Amino acid sequence: MTFLSITNATKSFGSNTVVKGFDLVVQKGEFVSFLGPSGCGKTTVLRMIAGFEAPTSGRVVIDGRDVTDLAPNKRRIGMVFQAYALFPNMNVAANIAFGLKIAGMNKSDSDARVQEMLKLIGLTHLSARYPYEMSGGQQQRVALARALAPKPQVLLLDEPLSALDAKIRVSLREEIRDIQRQLGITTVFVTHDQDEAMSISDRIVVMNGGRADQIGTPAEVYNRPATSFVANFVGTLNILKAKVTDLGQRRVSVGGMALQLLEPIRMPSSDGLVSLALRPEALSLTKDDEHDGTVEGLVTKVNFMGSVIRIRMNVAGEQINFDVFNNPRVPVPALGQMALAHFSSANIFELSA
Amino acid sequence: MKKQFPIVPTITALIAASYFLVPLFATFYFSLKMTRGTLSFASYQSVFGSPEFLASLLYSTLASLAAIVMGAVIIVPTAYWVRLKLPRLRPLVEFISLLPLIVPGVVLVFGYIRLFGSNSFLPLTSSDRGTDLLLVFGYVIMSMPYMFRAVDNGMAAIDIATLTEAAESLGASRLRTIALVIFPNVQAAIISGSFLTFSISLGEFVLPSLLNRPAFGPYLVQLGQDRAYEPAALAIMSFAFTWACMVLMQMFANKKPGQRLLPRRKTP
Repeated sequence: MTFLSITNATKSFGSNTVVKGFDLVVQKGEFVSFLGPSGCGKTTVLRMIAGFEAPTSGRVVIDGRDVTDLAPNKRRIGMVFQAYALFPNMNVAANIAFGLKIAGMNKSDSDARVQEMLKLIGLTHLSARYPYEMSGGQQQRVALARALAPKPQVLLLDEPLSALDAKIRVSLREEIRDIQRQLGITTVFVTHDQDEAMSISDRIVVMNGGRADQIGTPAEVYNRPATSFVANFVGTLNILKAKVTDLGQRRVSVGGMALQLLEPIRMPSSDGLVSLALRPEALSLTKDDEHDGTVEGLVTKVNFMGSVIRIRMNVAGEQINFDVFNNPRVPVPALGQMALAHFSSANIFELSA
Repeated sequence: MKKQFPIVPTITALIAASYFLVPLFATFYFSLKMTRGTLSFASYQSVFGSPEFLASLLYSTLASLAAIVMGAVIIVPTAYWVRLKLPRLRPLVEFISLLPLIVPGVVLVFGYIRLFGSNSFLPLTSSDRGTDLLLVFGYVIMSMPYMFRAVDNGMAAIDIATLTEAAESLGASRLRTIALVIFPNVQAAIISGSFLTFSISLGEFVLPSLLNRPAFGPYLVQLGQDRAYEPAALAIMSFAFTWACMVLMQMFANKKPGQRLLPRRKTP
């Protein structure tokens, strides 16, 4: 069931158009992440949903109601900011109760809801603390509780983990996802961190230059990137230049090695070359039954990291990187040695523009 | 290596301090010599015993408080709006707020008399209450550079835009955002600005003198012309009052939310 939709939204600041014809439909209870580099327009789209930016054109509909021209305080959205934005003059309980007070809830109901929220975020013992007396992670939990307390229709999270250290970031993102699942609240999450987006989203919107380059599940975005931008931005990628030897039969040659691709070749350049991409985990030093492709290259770097060995090879002038698990029965290739890297052609995808 | 005693900075500090403290001590010493041959607080008693002193002090205090309220009501929303919606206009607003330092008070008051004189469309100078109002307007203008700067700095210390958005996302209107979030968070800055306004308005001479109001500034000047020891006593009291204002400003500025202004006295 469609709960939130953005139709053909465009936003310009003077002559600078930062969002261009953006379309998105979010189902009720879905967790959608906007992923992209700085300046791609992801926060602007979020702010248009919140009502803090008015779209230059296009519509925003929440639960069947067109809210495009509605003031932010009338939209019933909950928002969590990168900088926490807790009210410094209020303690934790008063911060969480703020939205309830504005909504006119009576004191006893409000207190009960605040306790419920404090329990949800596991900070019942800190209800009397002020923001300056808490760590960043604790403050962001309170900000989440404050946003959820008035039971908003949509929860908007604007890079809520960016200001936290790595360990807290991982634990808090899992906590956010658990709470979101528990409450079944429709959530839009903005991040520039692909790991974050991959690990907690039902769907990811990969944004580039004000447009959605791809909208799909994390697996779709990672395994079948729609554009070369998505392929490069999400995960690490090895790119091999291949010569098309038989377009109809999907045959190509990489560094003299013949390969047959599973998918039809879409866009060879005028000189008959295509860019093929392989994820690092698709390459292996040992050949197994699934591997129908092999490339040979000069080993230019070997990083032994205990359980994992990171290898870099030069294949026909292109650098490829891959990690393999340390297996004492498989010798580690020496630097400057020629080595073979095996892969399945099913894991190759062609990069489009 | 043993750290050397900073001789030159210490001597410099002592010279600077004596430049300030010696005249102050001399004034204080002089104020105690009203009764011939002994040191006493007779001049202070004389000041406090004077009905004009109390009347003029009360008048100036009320006018200053009115100026503080009016100034806060005008300046807080202006500084908030400029920071939130019109950041490009900030240099212009800052310049306007500094104008009272450039334009002398005498120009301001003659402007007032011309604009609000008995022949004007709004003859405020025709009545005492009207002239009082003009005096308060004048105090607001004179204290604007200090009040605006204090409030603007207070707003710079918190993220006004994000706090406003946070409050709005929780359903608050702009007015409730200002009342419940912005105002309490710049309270310390407003109080600092208020103390500055108070100390400036209290001793201000030009405005009440030319508007012919019974304020504390003209009383001080008159007393200086008529008496010898009482002005010295008043000067010392003014210093003490200004310092008290400064200490209170510091205390309010350093107070964190939820903290008391003074530490709670420990019970045995």
